[in-house]
Amino acid sequence: MNAVEIKNLSKNFGPKQAVCGLDMTVPMGAIYGFIGENGSGKSTTEKMICGLIPTSGGSIKLYGKEYTDEDVRAKMGVLIEAPGCFAGLTVFDNMMLQAENLGIANAEQEVIKVLKMVRMEGSAGNKYKNCSLGMKQRVGIAMALLGAPTLLVLDEPLNGLDADGMRIMREVFTDIIKDGKRSIIISSHLLGELQKVATHYGIIRHGKMIAQMTADELDASCRTYVAIQSAEMNKTKILLGCKYSRVEEDEAGYLRVYDMTTPEEIVSYLYQNGICVTEIKTDKIGLEEYYIDLMNGGKR
Amino acid sequence: MTNNTVKFEKVTFGKRLKSMLKVDFRRMFLSKHFYIIIACALVIPILMTVMMCMMDGSVSVDQQTGQEIIMQGPENAWQNIGTLPVGPLPGDDVFMMCNINMAFIGVAVFVCLFICDDFRSGYAKNLFTVRAKRSEYVVSKTLAGFVCGVLMLIAYFVGSIIGGAISSLSFDLHGLNAGNIIMCMLAKMFLMLVFVSIFTLISVASKQKTWLAICGSLGGGMLLFMMVSLVTPLASTIVNVLLCAVGGAIFAFGLGAISCAVLKKSSMV
Repeated sequence: MNAVEIKNLSKNFGPKQAVCGLDMTVPMGAIYGFIGENGSGKSTTEKMICGLIPTSGGSIKLYGKEYTDEDVRAKMGVLIEAPGCFAGLTVFDNMMLQAENLGIANAEQEVIKVLKMVRMEGSAGNKYKNCSLGMKQRVGIAMALLGAPTLLVLDEPLNGLDADGMRIMREVFTDIIKDGKRSIIISSHLLGELQKVATHYGIIRHGKMIAQMTADELDASCRTYVAIQSAEMNKTKILLGCKYSRVEEDEAGYLRVYDMTTPEEIVSYLYQNGICVTEIKTDKIGLEEYYIDLMNGGKR
Repeated sequence: MTNNTVKFEKVTFGKRLKSMLKVDFRRMFLSKHFYIIIACALVIPILMTVMMCMMDGSVSVDQQTGQEIIMQGPENAWQNIGTLPVGPLPGDDVFMMCNINMAFIGVAVFVCLFICDDFRSGYAKNLFTVRAKRSEYVVSKTLAGFVCGVLMLIAYFVGSIIGGAISSLSFDLHGLNAGNIIMCMLAKMFLMLVFVSIFTLISVASKQKTWLAICGSLGGGMLLFMMVSLVTPLASTIVNVLLCAVGGAIFAFGLGAISCAVLKKSSMV
């Protein structure tokens, strides 16, 4: 059984089709990285999963049941766009409201426990409107975590978090799925961070799923490349460009050769042309590069 | 290897309604709007009665006609609640427009702010993700608005008594008895359900647009405002109470169902 199974989902806003024929499968115990450009339909899909906007067609099943099933929906946690908190209330009061909404028996203890998880216990008495962006985001995640939800839907949960905040959230997310039954859908543009936690990926474009894969499959799809640094980078680039079909300079100043080759072959070739290689290594492209390539038509 | 099934606890309507009521009443008692509105309901009759009594007998001149106008203050403390069966008393003309029935309009502001805040703050997302059915939301909001309305009526009643006592007005019931006053207040309380149901419907349809909800509710409330003094006079009996209770129930169920349908068919964000 899958946590989320979507078939042929569509959503129209007037004449505009935001989501068209989307298929998506989120297995149980997965952290599903949901990736796409701005306006690709990620948030719309998430809102439909959460029942916040009506669908125009297709089906959504959560744990084998219709997405409108009250019992399943009662065990969902959500953070979409921004945390839904009342500005004039304290963090604790906002959390207590959500705890009451979920019908949690020991609401106060649960709220304190969750605030501790996101390291916000010291700010419980602060008014929500006085919290910083990062703190608000932590509150939003804490609210979604209340009541040990079976399915978490988080839209850009890492926005505004500092490095420590991101590390804490990674730990929290990884801990949640340990039992193999709870699942998390995370949409984020911070692909480097997402790659550190996601076990599955779905890439959406123009409202359609263009690729779904596990982290292992992604790893296998990501080609290796050889990165070189030399004393004469311009000459090296020209020489490599003559022999290999794809040579690019990266942000760190390395020349990357994406063709099927070995470091030894490149060193030998450059040496024959009078260039001394100062550094050479092989590496794999990351999720970010894979995604950009996919969006550009799959060059790598 | 993990077991490939997940069991979900059955969530009954009763459980959902209980949790929703807890949310709304906690929020209501944490909201400053609630206390401001109740305080207004308490202070307005005191200020009005005292000021009108202070102005009693003062003379002003009409700028256009040059005629002298002598201001007349109230004679009886119950004029704040309704018209006594002894014919028009001095000050009745003012109190007809500005008496306890103002609470029916005042509660519109509370209901609109209370509901629209859910959508403006984004809290509606948290609410409706875990609530596939919207019925308990509408029931809970209607009940919270109703309780606020009833508390406003009680505050206005208390304010009227205090204002009357401060101004040393008569508490003579002119042939009526305490039972009539109680029936009048009960009838007003049940009638509040009619108004709150209308305001709830307008607010859930307006969602984030608080200004639209308030304008619509005040407009709608004004249309029915004259009905209040007709069906809940000071000389009310059990018939008035029953009439208002039945009307309140019909409106609450009918408009509540429409509110649910509006929520179901529209976006929550």
